[in-house]
Amino acid sequence: MENISLKTTEIQKRFGGVRALINGTIEVRSGEVLALVGSNGSGKSTLAKIITGVLAHDDGHIIYRDEPVQFPNPMVAQKAGIMAVYQDLSLVPSLTVAENIWLANEPLTNMGFLNSRMMISKTNEYLALFENTFQATLHPEAYVSTLPPDEKQIVEILKAVSRDPNVIIFDEATASLDSNQVNCLFNLIKKLKQEDKALVFISHRMDEIFRIADRAVVLRNGITVGDAIISETSEEAIVKMMIGSETIFENGITTFIDTRDAELALVLDNVENSRLSGVSFSVKKGELVGIGGLRGQGQSTLLHTLFGNLPYDGQINLFGQPIQFKHPKDAMRENIAFIPGDRAAEGLLLIRSILENFHLPSWRKYAKPFLNIKKAKTDAKKVSDQLSLVMESLESPVSNLSGGNAQKVVIGKWLLRNPRLLLLDDPTKGVDVGTKAEFYHLLRELTNAGTTILFFTSDDQELLDLCPRVLVMQDGRIKADLSGERLTETNLVSASMGAHETEKKQEVLEHA
Amino acid sequence: MPEKKNNHKFINWVTAVNKKYAIGIPLILLVVSTVIFFSLQTNIFEPGTISRLTNSNFRTWLPVLLLTMGQGLVLIGGGLDLSNGSIVSVGNVVLALYITSADEPWHNLAIVALVIAFGLAAGFLNGFLTVYLGLQPVIVTFATSFIYAGLALLLLPTPGGAIPRDYTNFYRNTQYLGVPFSLLLLFFLLLLWGIFRHRKYGRFLYAVGGNPKAAYTTGVPVTWVKISTYVLSGLLASFGAISYSLLTGSGFSGSGADMMLPSITGAIIGGISFSGGSGSLVGAVFGGIILGNIRRIISIARIDSWAVTLVNALVIVFALAAPGAINLLRRKK
Repeated sequence: MENISLKTTEIQKRFGGVRALINGTIEVRSGEVLALVGSNGSGKSTLAKIITGVLAHDDGHIIYRDEPVQFPNPMVAQKAGIMAVYQDLSLVPSLTVAENIWLANEPLTNMGFLNSRMMISKTNEYLALFENTFQATLHPEAYVSTLPPDEKQIVEILKAVSRDPNVIIFDEATASLDSNQVNCLFNLIKKLKQEDKALVFISHRMDEIFRIADRAVVLRNGITVGDAIISETSEEAIVKMMIGSETIFENGITTFIDTRDAELALVLDNVENSRLSGVSFSVKKGELVGIGGLRGQGQSTLLHTLFGNLPYDGQINLFGQPIQFKHPKDAMRENIAFIPGDRAAEGLLLIRSILENFHLPSWRKYAKPFLNIKKAKTDAKKVSDQLSLVMESLESPVSNLSGGNAQKVVIGKWLLRNPRLLLLDDPTKGVDVGTKAEFYHLLRELTNAGTTILFFTSDDQELLDLCPRVLVMQDGRIKADLSGERLTETNLVSASMGAHETEKKQEVLEHA
Repeated sequence: MPEKKNNHKFINWVTAVNKKYAIGIPLILLVVSTVIFFSLQTNIFEPGTISRLTNSNFRTWLPVLLLTMGQGLVLIGGGLDLSNGSIVSVGNVVLALYITSADEPWHNLAIVALVIAFGLAAGFLNGFLTVYLGLQPVIVTFATSFIYAGLALLLLPTPGGAIPRDYTNFYRNTQYLGVPFSLLLLFFLLLLWGIFRHRKYGRFLYAVGGNPKAAYTTGVPVTWVKISTYVLSGLLASFGAISYSLLTGSGFSGSGADMMLPSITGAIIGGISFSGGSGSLVGAVFGGIILGNIRRIISIARIDSWAVTLVNALVIVFALAAPGAINLLRRKK
């Protein structure tokens, strides 16, 4: 077939103790669209950043046009003709659209001055590729900071395309685009394909992959697990490859108390704010409800909103009482506890002792009128035993603890307050398997004691193993409410990917 | 009706220019403070007064204005230079100690070159430590400022030394077509800025200050642009040292200590923000002149000189508090 434009073999990358990529192997040919597929944290974006020189890889080889290469920075990769449309965008908000598109690639006059007239007219030419899909506020001289997300994404795409590269990686380029804009992008991709460019398309949307890609490579947990020719495969087959068959945790250990007759703990009716659009659901006392979906679909926002950290419109009832929190302290008064995802930044005073961290939310309880250190210590001891915390002593600083044990301290400090409702924001990130198991055990004990728990995690396996009921979020909405027999890995993954029903897929295939 | 439309267009144009160059408010303040300053002069209508005052103002302000320009560059690039005053002290001490009589031009030129080289090297050290080692610019330049100030004190423990009269007279009294030398130098430097502003370097500078990560992923040489701002700040500080020495004609190891704070305040008044990526050096010079006018007005009105420091400090507190205050208001809403 055609010649291979770019090839990576066995790329490895570590971030501290986390192995983001163990074996990243792809090859993409000229005039081909390669879809790179995988669930959260499978290493897609890391691989893209390694190819474009943003990150350095620890091991492995990149071969570009039959030559082994290593790009020390994005500048060199760009000169060689490799560009990416980054998921987290690479725009300077204080510069205009035209200035961003031509940054580090400015058209110059003979004297070496910036040629703004040419820059603006060429920007208009490129914007015409997305004609009629954006508002009049998107023009070459508009400041990027004033643009909505979809228009920023368009600018990011045009910036990559304007450099006329040989290889373009589109990392979640469609995530914030509407269907008309996606159509324009796909027409552009088809044009680039005819020009013999090599294109890598990273997306979570199955229907798009089947519309535009020629081949797909599947990553799972940082390992390339397989590839397929799109015309010869199906959505189901690809989802199966993404999931694999291995499970680290024992399955079916969900022995929960029957909550069918329990009172309603939490009812949300049409809750809305900047990131949530019309969230409604209800949770019973003692229930453990998982929140799933792709990262950044509003899960954290939902938890922050419930904790009074973000303003909202709509109705929230807590144990039958309507609530309106304006500040986290209002939520704490109602015995709600929030365990943040970024424990180092939001959850712990790293250099202070375990004891101090434990007591931070509940000093008031021990100050009657003088601090009752003795009582505080015995309570803390009890909690650390309950958590089976591995530590030197209560006086040693939290920074001495391992990731899993540090996370236990974050939970422990709220347990001292006996919360009614526990909100967990991706608490098992970077926690080892053994600690995870203890952690699951703890959550089950808590629910059995009547605590209601909302548990967001980006790890699908964790949702399946731990939660009897899972709410899947997409674009700030509850996309699916899965429980019982309907809670299967396939349903979970397809709901979070927004995979379409079978009839719709056929329709798309006919169009293509 | 069309008139109204035109009017609207004009307002839009003014807003656009103001946003692009961030110059509107500094320009108004500049005009207002200059008018106040001149109207406080009793003999303003006597011939030659305005020219004499302009000369004496600008030759006094030039050292601080040069530092303000350097500070402006560093701030636009997203950094901060607290050591520029100390670089002035070193330069001033070296010039006062080693410049001999005007009969030895080559020797004196070599000393001037040495001062400039020191400014460049000190700036490079600041840049290297902040950018390559990823240390906080506030901490790094605060620390190096003590190194440079200590060096100045070591070289000249007590005030002394002298610059030959031939040189100081040239600086103090030279005029071309009625425009004092100090003002001409400013125009020249601003012209240079205008040229670089409209070349690749200018674009890179604003991109690096606006979002260094995005600039890096887009292929901008972030490291070198950042270091260059510190080097240029050091260079301008050495120019500041030369002009300060020519102004006073003597050496003092603490000469630059009072210049660091106004260099930040001037840049901030001129529309440059602490977060980087906005403002311009024209604005920074305006800000410096505004501060100079305020200082003069305060002294004419016989208010104590601590008021000057108070004004400087208040401007910085407001500039630091503004983003937080805006967020707070938004949140309340």
